[in-house]
Amino acid sequence: MEQLIEQLKSQIIEALNFEDMTPADIDTDAPLFGEGLGLDSIDALELIMLMDREYGIKLADPKAGKAIFQSVRTMAEYIQANRTK
Amino acid sequence: MRVSQEIEITPAKVIINGEPVAVKEKGEKMLVELYRQYANDYPKFFKMDTLCRLGFIASEILLREEQVEAVILANRSASIKNDTDYLSTITGENYYPSPALFVYTLPNIVTGEIAIRHHIQGETSFYILEDEQQLEQIIKSTITRHPSPILAGWCECSGPDTFNAKLQIIWNN
Amino acid sequence: MIYCVGHSIISPLGEGTQANVEAVKAGHSGLKIYTDRFESVEPFCASLFDTPQEFVPLCIRSVEMAADKSEILKSPETVFVVSTTKGDQLDLLTPAKEIAQHFGNPNLPVVVSNACTSGVCAQITAMRLLEAGFYRHAVVTGCDIQTKFIVSGFQAFKALSQEPCLPFSPERKGLNLGEAAATIIYSNQPSDLSNRSNWALVKGSIHNDANHISAPSRTGEGAYRCLTDVLAGVSPADICLLGVHGTATLYNDDMERTAIRRAGLQNVPMSVLKPFFGHTMGAAGVLETIIAMKMVQNEKNVHVIKMLSGFGGVNAAIRLQCE
Repeated sequence: MEQLIEQLKSQIIEALNFEDMTPADIDTDAPLFGEGLGLDSIDALELIMLMDREYGIKLADPKAGKAIFQSVRTMAEYIQANRTK
Repeated sequence: MRVSQEIEITPAKVIINGEPVAVKEKGEKMLVELYRQYANDYPKFFKMDTLCRLGFIASEILLREEQVEAVILANRSASIKNDTDYLSTITGENYYPSPALFVYTLPNIVTGEIAIRHHIQGETSFYILEDEQQLEQIIKSTITRHPSPILAGWCECSGPDTFNAKLQIIWNN
Repeated sequence: MIYCVGHSIISPLGEGTQANVEAVKAGHSGLKIYTDRFESVEPFCASLFDTPQEFVPLCIRSVEMAADKSEILKSPETVFVVSTTKGDQLDLLTPAKEIAQHFGNPNLPVVVSNACTSGVCAQITAMRLLEAGFYRHAVVTGCDIQTKFIVSGFQAFKALSQEPCLPFSPERKGLNLGEAAATIIYSNQPSDLSNRSNWALVKGSIHNDANHISAPSRTGEGAYRCLTDVLAGVSPADICLLGVHGTATLYNDDMERTAIRRAGLQNVPMSVLKPFFGHTMGAAGVLETIIAMKMVQNEKNVHVIKMLSGFGGVNAAIRLQCE
C-alpha cells in the first residue's frame, strides 16, 4: 500500500502539473479538494482519467469521486480494491 | 487612442516599453524563467498551455502598475499547438482524452486566465485575424464603446518554442 | 443600432429559416442517440446532419440563403464575420477567407472565437464595426461541425447527456451537441435592402466572470452584468422574450437562473432551444437569435434578449428591437 501511495503521489504531481512539488510535499491524509492541495473540477476529471489510464478503473459518475478523492489514502485504498491493471 | 505600456515577447527576446530585458533561456523555458522573475506565486501557471503562459506572463508584466477594463486578443492560428497536444491523447491505441488539455483547445481561454488573475469582469474577446492591422480596426471600434483602458494585442503560439506576443494597454484618449 | 436585412438557418431540422421555425413550432427535435459516430467510446445524444457536412460549403450555402442580392456580398463596404469554435479541422482563418473570397468580397474576414458565446459576440463585433463606419454591411455566419475531437473532449468533461437534454430540470444530466450553420446579414442603412426584416440590433455586452476557465460563476456575475447592460434604456417589463443558453449542465443552468433573477427578468418568457438543435457552439448565438426574432409578434417596440455563456468564463448578451 505504501508503495502505491508513493507512486500515486508522483502520478498526481505529473497529471496535475504541480511543477514545484515532490511526493514528500503531499500529506497522505490531507484533503485533496477544498484546502490541502486545493484541486478544482478539472483536476477531479483528470484524476478520473488517471485511474482509468494507470489502473484500468472506469468511474462513470463523477459524484462518486467525492468519497474516493477525499485524500491520497482513500484514493489508494479504492485503487487497491478495484484496479484491473 | 493612446498606448501607456507595451510588451513584446518572442522565443528569443523580451522588450518592455522599448527596453530589452535580459533573459537566460529561450522558448518555453524562457516563459518559465519570466514567471519565476515576475510572478512566482501562481501555481496554476504550470497547468496552462504555452499560449496561455505567453499571454499570462505578458499581461502580468504590463499589469504590475495599471489595471484594465477589458482584454481583447487575436492571432492567426487559434489554439493549434494545444489542439495538437490534445489530439495525441485521443489518437492511436491509447484513448485517454485529457480534460486538462481539452479546456485549452479554445484560444479565448488565455483571456479568461488573465481575467481571473487580475479580476477583470469587463469584456474578454478573442479574434482570429490575418494581421495586426485588422486588430487595430476592431480595437478602434470597441474602445469608444467600452470603459478604457483595455489590454489588447497579438498572442500567438503555433508550436513548441514558436510563439510571439505583442500586447499594449490602450486608452481612449 | 444596425438592421437585420437577411437571415438563414441550415440544420438537421431543415434548410432555411422557415423550415427550422416550422420544425420548432411542430415540436420536432434533431436529437438522436448515436452509437457509432466519431469512434465514440459510449453512446451520445446529438443533433447531427444525416450526411456529414463540410465547413466551407455549408457556410457558403448559409450565406447564399440569407443574402438578398449578391452585390452586397462582394461590396468593399461589406465585412464577413465568422463565428466558430473549431472551424474546419482546427483551422479557423483559412475557411473564413475562402468563404469571403467565394463571394468575391475584397475584405479580410473577422473570425470570432470566444467559445460558445461566439455567435452573439460576432453580432456585437458587427455592430461596432458598422457603427464606427468601417463598413456598411456585415455578413455574420456562425457554424460548427461536430468531430471526434469535440465529442471526446466533452465526454472527458462528463458534460454530455446520453439522453435528450433537460434544461433547467432537476433531472438534467448534461448537454447534447449539435451542428448547424446560421447567417444574419446586418446593415447600418435600414433603407438599403428591400427584404429587410423589422429587427434591429440595439445593444450588446460581453463580460467575464473572472472566476474559473470552465466552471461558471455561482453568482452569475458576468451574465448578470451583460443582462443589465443590454437592459439600459428599457425595463424588464419591456422584454417579450429571453433566449437563454440552457445547456442543461448542472452548473450552467443554475448560474443562468441566478443571473436572470438578479437582473429582474424572471417573469419574461424564455426560449430554450438546445432540446431542438443541441448545442451548436459557434452557430448557437446566430441560430438562436434568428429563432427568437421569429418567436415573437412582429410589432413595433417588441424587444428580445439573447444570452449565452462559454468556456473561459465569458458571457454575452444582445437586445434586439422590432421597429
